[in-house]
Formats: sequence, C-alpha cells, structure tokens
Amino acid sequence: MAMQIVMDHNGDTRHHFDPNDADALAKAERRFKELTGQGFTAAVRIASGEVAKISSFNPTAEETLFFPRLIGG
Amino acid sequence: MFLFPRLPATRRLRCEALRELYRSYRSENTCEARGLRLLREWLSPCQREQFNAQGHFDVIGCDSGKKYRIHCGTAMNVHEIDEAGRVRLGLCFAPKGSLVTGDVMLAQKIALETFERRALAVANRCLIVDLRSNAGRAGRANTPRPST
Repeated sequence: MAMQIVMDHNGDTRHHFDPNDADALAKAERRFKELTGQGFTAAVRIASGEVAKISSFNPTAEETLFFPRLIGG
Repeated sequence: MFLFPRLPATRRLRCEALRELYRSYRSENTCEARGLRLLREWLSPCQREQFNAQGHFDVIGCDSGKKYRIHCGTAMNVHEIDEAGRVRLGLCFAPKGSLVTGDVMLAQKIALETFERRALAVANRCLIVDLRSNAGRAGRANTPRPST
C-alpha cells in the first residue's frame, strides 16, 4: 500500500491506496494535483533520511508528504 | 460509607495496569505526539540521533551548503551556524496554517534541504547574541522594505 500524508492542524491525514489499482492511482494523482495546485509542497524519501521535492505525481513512491506553502514568521 | 467493595489486590493491579495502558495510548496519539513521530521517521539516522540526544538537529542547505540548526519549536527555531559552530542568524519561516511542532520542523528541514533559496526568500531574520563570544547585538535584521 502506498500512502499520501497531508500535514494539517490535526497532525496529518493519511490516504492509503493500492498502486496496482488503476482507479485508486487516478484518485491519488488527482489529490496530488489538487494539493500542489493549492500551493502544497510534495516530498518523497529517496534514501534513509534523504528527501526530494517532487513536482509531478510519482506512482512508485511509497510515501508522499505534503505541507502547506511556506511563509515568513 | 463504602459504596463499592474493595477490589482484590490482583484485580486492582490489573485495573491500574489497564488505566496506565490507556493513559499512554492517549498520550502517544495526541496531534503533537503524532507530529513528532512523523518527524523522527523522516529524519536521517544522524539527525534522529542528534534530535534524541540534544533536542535539535542540523541540516545542510542544498544551495549554499550552509549548516542550519532546527530547534524544537514553531517560530524563530531555525539558526544558521557558522564554521566555528556559532549561531549567526535566527530564521523564522513555517508552513502556512497552524501545524503541530513536529510538522513545522519537518517542513523546515525539507525546505532547507531541497529548496533553500526559496525558503530563505520568505524567511524573516534576526541577529542572535552569542553570549559565549559576546559579539553581535540582538535586533531584527530584515532587509528594509522600500517605502511606497
């Protein structure tokens, strides 16, 4: 099972999906586009502790993390 | 006087153990605890070790190669560190909205490691007094905005 983790005021919301299920994959891709369209940053883990920002949906990623746009404090 | 009969010792101990289990389950599943757990999962082994031992961890900026120290917190918790290990500058930037501490720190780590320049462009800065070297004066160091 793959997972999209969206940071929010509750900590995070997790969306699990089966990457072998075409419908679930399409839904995950729609979610990716919606969130990045709203200004969320998407990141994946490429190695132990190493992270990479992604700008297009990666269907092979086990975990994709989304966090809102950065602002100055 | 006593509405409830005294429980036998073994039953009382079992009740206390269950209560303790429930209490620990509740404390591990708060928003803050889940945020810190997510942060720990995404830290590198070195960063995780440093965070567990010292309560902060270092990241290297992807564009400049500078070292930043992310402390536990959601505001003014990122410090730029020089080669000698002294704090040079305080940086304040965070994801929009009210996120829990672990989430804010994780977003700061990812931002500095993957799009440092863009993160610094939105960050507010302030000078940090390093009492060990007695150098520098506290104060805001934002670039003055042009008057309109």
